Amino acid sequence: MKRTPKPVTAEENSNAKKYWRSAEQLSNSPEFRRWLESEYPEGAAELELMKDSLSRRKFLTIMGASLALAGLSACRRPVEKIVPYVKQPEEVVPGIANYYATTMPFGLSAYGVLVKSNEGRPTKVEGNEKHPSSAGGTNTFVQASILGLYDPDRSKAVYKNGSESSFDEFVTFWRKQHLDFKANGGEGLAILTESYASPTLSRLMSEFMATYPKAKIAVYEAVSDENIFNGIQLATGELLQPIYDFSKAKVILALDADCFLRESENVMNARGFADGRRVESGKDQMNRLYVVESTFSVTGGMADHRLKLQSCLIGAFTAALALELNAQGVNVPAADALGNYATHPFDKKWISAVAKDLIQNRGASLVVAGRHQSAEVHALVTAINSALMNVGTTVSYRPIKDAAVPSRKSLVALVEDINAGKISTLLILGGNPVYDAPVDLNVESALKKVKTTIHWGLYRDETAQLTTWHIPATHYLEQWGDAISVNGTISPIQPLIAPLYKGKSNIELLNIINTGLEESGYTCVRQTWKQRIGELGFEENWKKALHEGVLTMVNDTKPITLNSEALSQAMQQNPFSTKAPNVSSLEFVFLPSESTFDGRFANNAWLQELPGAVTKLAWDNAALMSLKTAKELGLKGESVYAPEGDRTHLNDMDREVVKLTVQGRELEMPVWIVPGQADYSITLPLGYGRKAAGSVGNDIGFNCYTLRTLNGMDIQNGTAEPTGKHYILATTQNQGSLDGRESIVIEGTLDQYLKQPDFVKEKLIKYEEVKLFERPYKHDEGHQWGMTIDLNACIGCNACAIACQSENNIPVVGKEQTRKGRQMHWIRIDRYFAGDFETPEMVYQPVACQQCENAPCEQVCPVAATAHTEDGINAMVYNRCVGTRYCANNCPYKVRRFNYFNYVTDNPVWNGNVPETVKMAMNPDVTVRFRGVMEKCNYCYQRIAGARINAKNQGREIADGEIKTACEQSCPTQAIVFGDINDPNSKVSQMKRQKRNYDLLAELNVKPRTSYLAKLRNPNPELEQNAIG
Amino acid sequence: METATLKQEHHNGHHHVYVPEPELINGKPTFNTITEVICGVPEGKMPRLWWILFGISFAFMAMYLAVIGYLIWKGIGIWGNNTTVGWAWDITNFVWWVGIGHAGTLISAVLFLFRQKWRTSINRFSEAMTIFAVICAGMFPLIHMGRIWHAYWFLPLPNSMQMWVNFRSPLMWDVFAISTYLSVSIMFWYVGLIPDLATMRDRAKPGIRKTLLGLFSLGWRGGNRQWRHYERAYTILAGLSTPLVLSVHTIVSFDFATSIIPGWHTTIFPPYFVAGAIFSGFAMVMTLVIITYWMFPQVKQIINERHIDNMNKIIMVTGMMVGYAYGCEFFIAWYSGNPYEASIFMKRATGPYWWAYWSMITCNVIIPQVFWIKSMRTNLTVSFIVSIFVNIGMWFERFVITVTSLSQDYLPSSWKYFNPTIYDVACFVGSIGLFMTLFLLFLRYMPMVAMSEVKGVLPHANPHHPDHALNKHGRGHETHQVEKVAELATKNGGH
Repeated sequence: MKRTPKPVTAEENSNAKKYWRSAEQLSNSPEFRRWLESEYPEGAAELELMKDSLSRRKFLTIMGASLALAGLSACRRPVEKIVPYVKQPEEVVPGIANYYATTMPFGLSAYGVLVKSNEGRPTKVEGNEKHPSSAGGTNTFVQASILGLYDPDRSKAVYKNGSESSFDEFVTFWRKQHLDFKANGGEGLAILTESYASPTLSRLMSEFMATYPKAKIAVYEAVSDENIFNGIQLATGELLQPIYDFSKAKVILALDADCFLRESENVMNARGFADGRRVESGKDQMNRLYVVESTFSVTGGMADHRLKLQSCLIGAFTAALALELNAQGVNVPAADALGNYATHPFDKKWISAVAKDLIQNRGASLVVAGRHQSAEVHALVTAINSALMNVGTTVSYRPIKDAAVPSRKSLVALVEDINAGKISTLLILGGNPVYDAPVDLNVESALKKVKTTIHWGLYRDETAQLTTWHIPATHYLEQWGDAISVNGTISPIQPLIAPLYKGKSNIELLNIINTGLEESGYTCVRQTWKQRIGELGFEENWKKALHEGVLTMVNDTKPITLNSEALSQAMQQNPFSTKAPNVSSLEFVFLPSESTFDGRFANNAWLQELPGAVTKLAWDNAALMSLKTAKELGLKGESVYAPEGDRTHLNDMDREVVKLTVQGRELEMPVWIVPGQADYSITLPLGYGRKAAGSVGNDIGFNCYTLRTLNGMDIQNGTAEPTGKHYILATTQNQGSLDGRESIVIEGTLDQYLKQPDFVKEKLIKYEEVKLFERPYKHDEGHQWGMTIDLNACIGCNACAIACQSENNIPVVGKEQTRKGRQMHWIRIDRYFAGDFETPEMVYQPVACQQCENAPCEQVCPVAATAHTEDGINAMVYNRCVGTRYCANNCPYKVRRFNYFNYVTDNPVWNGNVPETVKMAMNPDVTVRFRGVMEKCNYCYQRIAGARINAKNQGREIADGEIKTACEQSCPTQAIVFGDINDPNSKVSQMKRQKRNYDLLAELNVKPRTSYLAKLRNPNPELEQNAIG
Repeated sequence: METATLKQEHHNGHHHVYVPEPELINGKPTFNTITEVICGVPEGKMPRLWWILFGISFAFMAMYLAVIGYLIWKGIGIWGNNTTVGWAWDITNFVWWVGIGHAGTLISAVLFLFRQKWRTSINRFSEAMTIFAVICAGMFPLIHMGRIWHAYWFLPLPNSMQMWVNFRSPLMWDVFAISTYLSVSIMFWYVGLIPDLATMRDRAKPGIRKTLLGLFSLGWRGGNRQWRHYERAYTILAGLSTPLVLSVHTIVSFDFATSIIPGWHTTIFPPYFVAGAIFSGFAMVMTLVIITYWMFPQVKQIINERHIDNMNKIIMVTGMMVGYAYGCEFFIAWYSGNPYEASIFMKRATGPYWWAYWSMITCNVIIPQVFWIKSMRTNLTVSFIVSIFVNIGMWFERFVITVTSLSQDYLPSSWKYFNPTIYDVACFVGSIGLFMTLFLLFLRYMPMVAMSEVKGVLPHANPHHPDHALNKHGRGHETHQVEKVAELATKNGGH
């Protein structure tokens, strides 16, 4: 609802009388005109009026206006005038959303997305099926970006030396600088940028270098694929980006690589992996995944064989594997240059079996290493993939063009230049180096040495607060731009909304830096594209690209030639460490957080509240370690995964605090025990402990960058000691194991499945179907909605949880409420560990309302607030609910969520009202629930209703696949299938006919509409005895 | 073993017993001394202890009301309930109070129908307690609602919104069960009060008190016809109330028993809940009687060791009944072969809530065993301590059932521990404050003992009503209890 504009204020018309009498007078105010033109007027006009000192007249004005309105306000709600479209834009039908294709740039990656727009207000992000990096799926960051757009803590003004200024002032300032630097060739000018892959930015950057040839450019990313590029360069002599095709790989070895969540291109990787694993009949084949890693990752959870190994030994392990491959007859280049890694007590049998498997599947195998492994590891991995003839099939390489490739060295060089006094003007184009640069570089003090520093970013963050100038950035949903995906496909970034907070895009800013002239991003991008695709038929191509979200699908990969000599040299010069860490010399591994990544999403409440994929921790990070490590450090090792029989583990969230020390730098943070973590290896998630993230993200968690030095950006040696202190952590899952309940997550091996496709039946609890009364619903007419979740495809990435939150206006509740067990997520990803504590396996099970046909919740509601619809949905009637919580108690799946507080006006995250802008991210098709009512998943009923109306208008039936629930749509692995179970040909019916299909807690005779497909593992028979399956 | 009582005659098919039962009332009271003792309390000044207790109780009640106000203003979130444990102290308190409210009907109605004449000394007491306990109980389901302002949706009121209640929900049944119980209890209590109110009216000086007493005594003059009607009404009400003793707590137990949550879904619940209710109700009567002793020692004459002894026997028996139920639950959990059921019972005893479970066992099963010893049964200090333990133990029983079952149900991922907040405690303590305030006001303004009925069991009472006489039962064990009684019994030709 649009708010009434404020009347003419005193500042604007100081001599005039301070009140207004007619609407005409009001409409003549510049405020009103601006409001008419802009999409979104500034809210809280009344409050602003109140801010001025209250004169008697103003008091009377307000009182008079209040009295005038009082006559209208006989209803409960505050009066907010709405203004309809006088001239309705052609493409906008009120109430019907439009979708626009755009691209979310993320470092060197680009996620093609479709964004839902309700009357000019973007509300939901979906993957673009036509884009190679998303293929219709998304990850949590993409899903949560919509909230980032509306973040009220985003920077709203240009700042100069800490006080508000204007962009015009900056332009004036820069024009002078521009002339000076142009004259001296850019002497003393430097740019520190975050990485990007964009034709337009790249063009502007070349122009920058042309204008200021002596200027310096540094590219820094706290978390990047730099090591991967360096490694490939080491092996091939070229700057190449790897593109993995997991779908073609039959055997995959992931070396400390969380390909499906933390690494680049996780959406595509996960999709490919799941595609190579889909089992529909007894004839299907499955890929096999081996994972060697230090901390449990979602990739490790999917592994058929997982070996825990400290990250610092991965290099030696890779070398041992190369030697084994060599021994088994595959000539790995540079293998002869490798030392005697075989002496290290790696599991010989394991390596030999993996090597054999890789060789047997030559050309259809894949070895990947994590981005925090050294360049040498990646060089060797490239050599192994090449030797296994995987290049061109499962992995291919593309020259990196039109991109800013992150380079830690360039940052070091820049800081050296600054410290030498060579830089007088520094433009920081995105990024937050004060927070995330290596701590021993001391960027903070370096910045102070630069005369003029200019920061461009979404927030007035740690860096922005120290710079001379700060320019607010536009969100990607507010700007024109372009991006290049990993396979070279160019996709446009088009704005869904005018900038909310006077932001400028990096393109616009860089253009001013180059020319001193303002030019719109639109023009800049079109200019680049005209150069690329030519003027001929440009408009047509441009329109098509904007419509499709991609310019053209390209695949400019190239074959590689290995430089064995350089490789051998590198292997000899930098031999891999074989020194295993121990209790007095621990290994610290820095990994990006699953929630805040490198800290950039720290102010995103959805992501903060999202439980970690493995730890299920929300609103905090913690030092992850194994129980053995904790005990040897002298800690008690309290854990929610404690062995059975522990009486108090459901309660105790007080975690011991440990002091971590790296080269004299100390950090105290709480310990979180993770089963399956390599001993003496402590994982430190980055991206927390921000000081200037915004009202949501400030002082959440612990800043591990304070231990991250240049020589230990990825893996660091250090010590830890108990402090005797405690810290309260919030987890959403207090019980780690299934407690022997095998029928909940059913798992088997491929062999088992091939021999006995209905093996699931044996694991289910037998029960007799008892009928006490006739079922009130026949469920055999019309559409009957149902869902399947393939546990074999679910990787536990949490994308569905955020998608659901975005689609269904699910509130965030903050750490304290999460700790109390009141998180509101309608779909949760249950994570269970099985097997022994040291080498467990991990399984995921997404659980939302199962839409029981015989719903126990419906029976107990005294006021019939939850009832069945004809199409089989267990509907929740919010405005009928009186809040007895009986339904939630009687729900065996515990999927009902109660509004313990009014999370709109009394939200613990914002200490009160949810900010107006955050409300703009809400889906207008879904009610916002009041305090005291129950809520839960309803299969995105608004989407069902929308499709039904649509189909009816067009006089046809709803087609299968036409309705996708938010979780289904976001799922990168397509694990969730929704559809009409009354239609035998629908996808969901086909899924339900599979032998792996089972109902969760079927023995309760609740007849859930959601069913699960049993998980399969494909262990190597040679390793069967220590298979984790 | 029947003691030879002086059976006089049969009339209208009833036993009419002109039994001097001197052991029921200590000393040799006349009608007048009974009246003096009982009416003396509301007519006289309240002792210092009354004021102290009233001050404390009133303060707690005020706090309770304030917390309820805050609860309604802010939301249920001020309590510790969470997604997994949707009901915690709220429903625990509700069931606990309903249970306590059971002794009243049992003593008034069932013991009346069974002609247990010892009940006359304590029935007023326990009826009052019942009403107050049911009021306390009824508040919890109300305030535990997320949107209390829609509480009237619980009532099947025809309306224009096309809304109707769900009669399949046990909470709906609760609404009827509790409201029926409350109204019948109030009726029963009031009918019993009429002759006594008239007595007080006659003693009162003219003024507002006399007017009010006159109003509420409904013109009682003590005439034969009035007595006859009164006795009829009383008997009918007793008959009506008797099924309620079984039904109310049975229905409350349906809240749990008809659900599908392991630990709730149990067929033993109805009898088990009823036994537990009687158990806790008697314990609460015991607590209140002894507190009353401290304030008004003269009452000891009327409520004496014999009553204490009888109540303790019932406490011990019902305690063993709930003990049996605890054991039976475990047996069925194992015998049914239901893995979820077995799991929750093991977890109750050994899981995160082991302390609550063993507190319950200790308080409810072990501690009342001291009542095997006669001297313990008649010792006021011991009785008081045990009654407090039983109150605590029964609260834990409700807590164990409500919270532990929810805490660890089907999917281990949802398992969650419940931690109360200060507001949970405030609501519980506050409800006790409300209860005690009402009870102390009752002592202050009402005849705490049913004078007319006590007079009826005095040795020199004439058989002046047909239905309210005492039969021959009950003296068998009485002879074992009080020496004086034994002596008298021997004199009267007992064994």
